[in-house]
Amino acid sequence: MENADKTIVITGATSGIGLAAAKELVLKGSYVIGTGRSEERCRSAEQEIIGICPGAKISYLAADLSSLSEVRRLAAGIRETLAKDGFSHLDVLINNAGTVSSWYVSTVDGFELQFAVNHLAPFLLTHELLPLLGRSQAGTVICTSSGSHYRTRLRWNDIMLRKHYNTLLAYKQTKLANVLFVTELNRRLAAAGSSIKAFALDPGLVNTDIGFKGTLGIARIVWQFRSKGGTPPEIPARSMAYLALDPVPRSTGKIYWKDCRPKEPSAYSQRPDIAKRLWELSERMCGIVGR
Amino acid sequence: MGTTAFITGAAGGLGKAFAVECASRGFDLFLTDISETPLSRLSDSLRNTYGTDVHCYGCDLTDADSRAALYAYVKSGGFLFNFLINVAGLDFEGAFEERTPDQIRTMLRLNIEANLELTHELLKLRDPAMTFRIINVSSLAAFYPMPVKAMYSASKRFLLNFSRALGEELRSRNVTVTALCPAGMPTTPECIEAIEAQGFAGRITTCNVGYVASKTIDMALRGKPVYIPGLPNRILQAAGSIIPESIVARVVGSRWNAAHGRRMQRQKTFKAFS
Repeated sequence: MENADKTIVITGATSGIGLAAAKELVLKGSYVIGTGRSEERCRSAEQEIIGICPGAKISYLAADLSSLSEVRRLAAGIRETLAKDGFSHLDVLINNAGTVSSWYVSTVDGFELQFAVNHLAPFLLTHELLPLLGRSQAGTVICTSSGSHYRTRLRWNDIMLRKHYNTLLAYKQTKLANVLFVTELNRRLAAAGSSIKAFALDPGLVNTDIGFKGTLGIARIVWQFRSKGGTPPEIPARSMAYLALDPVPRSTGKIYWKDCRPKEPSAYSQRPDIAKRLWELSERMCGIVGR
Repeated sequence: MGTTAFITGAAGGLGKAFAVECASRGFDLFLTDISETPLSRLSDSLRNTYGTDVHCYGCDLTDADSRAALYAYVKSGGFLFNFLINVAGLDFEGAFEERTPDQIRTMLRLNIEANLELTHELLKLRDPAMTFRIINVSSLAAFYPMPVKAMYSASKRFLLNFSRALGEELRSRNVTVTALCPAGMPTTPECIEAIEAQGFAGRITTCNVGYVASKTIDMALRGKPVYIPGLPNRILQAAGSIIPESIVARVVGSRWNAAHGRRMQRQKTFKAFS
């Protein structure tokens, strides 16, 4: 059924869902490029995967996705790595890297950290890799969103919550932005007659260390308890692999997936006016003009 | 002509927040910081996102020649300003006896000398059609003698007194001066670590940097002479002002010595692990 011999990029693949998905996809025979923030963690993830799957087609590139110029550098690195291994296309891009921050921290580009890593980085990386994805038979973009995208909206007058920052609110907004991005991307791709499809993945509550990234105090304690009740990262990784490899999701027209099944995303995330506005703002922020 | 703001230390945590805040209000900007690369990256991003006019120039404010080059550049560009935000400043925390002569000179030059000279130069380049607003970044530390941060708190006290006096001196000349007196802000991993080392007190006295920048601009536009962000901090300041200084110094000293000790201990543990 599924065609596992694909070229795949997974961001944030040194731990959690990304690492589990990289293992799963490599074991099925795919060619995978993982990314991570630290060179050291990239190397150790690579060793770990080669350890369980000798001869795995795996490589890692380090990049700090909080910086737009690093995202562009990463895209160039991905193009180079693919070319070196004889590929002129990319089948699947999995925008999985995500973070949480207790405080309002601004990135080198002056954006709020969660907004930059969770939304702008996937937006720009996808934009950069779209030509390669277009050369695939079945180009696929997957964004790790979350059930936390429900019951929230974008605060247009202060989209990065500079004035009234709240960790969870900021996180929820970025996960909503992921679904809006996928929605608008599909609309634009279809309008342009492209065969590329985009999906948002809802991983459910997963036992990873995301709640310990740049947080402190109560948030850490709460996450310590909550994450214990979560599923292991292998469960959403299976859904991720399913979206990446199986032809079925592409034919359904459904964009939001959880546990290998389509699910209704929030009504707000499907509003074309909102999706278009976020897209145009993101283009300006990323310095993308004249598409 | 619209508002044009000059911001020093613009690539750092608080300076960047001020730059973003001003750009979001549609101000044109002139940014300076010691290193050019992050400065030009921020400028590009602000231009893209907010569509304002952003200029930048790298300058080592501790160096008189570098400052002279900055003034020459600004003058040759024909810029006129109506906002000056003096953010650049630094702290060498730790026992005074352990500081090097170089550190002592650097702090004096940046926190005091550069601030005074820049204010003096920029006042000459003010837009005569508009009110000229100066924001000097002082600190909550300005209100107390602070052991382990003795030089820093004294330099910030200097800026507080200077700001208040200058504001009064220039009141009739359409100039306002606002001293911003924040507690620690979580701008870098080091700051976040320092806040954590203070425990609960550190957490409640901490304000997000985006909020501080936004409120400070509001306060400056209202011509407020001093702004302390965060209610717990205003209470601390009020309490500090009615208790004799010798007692304040003792209390602050015991707290900061303890926090400093915890931080050093943490760093040691961290190093042992890595």
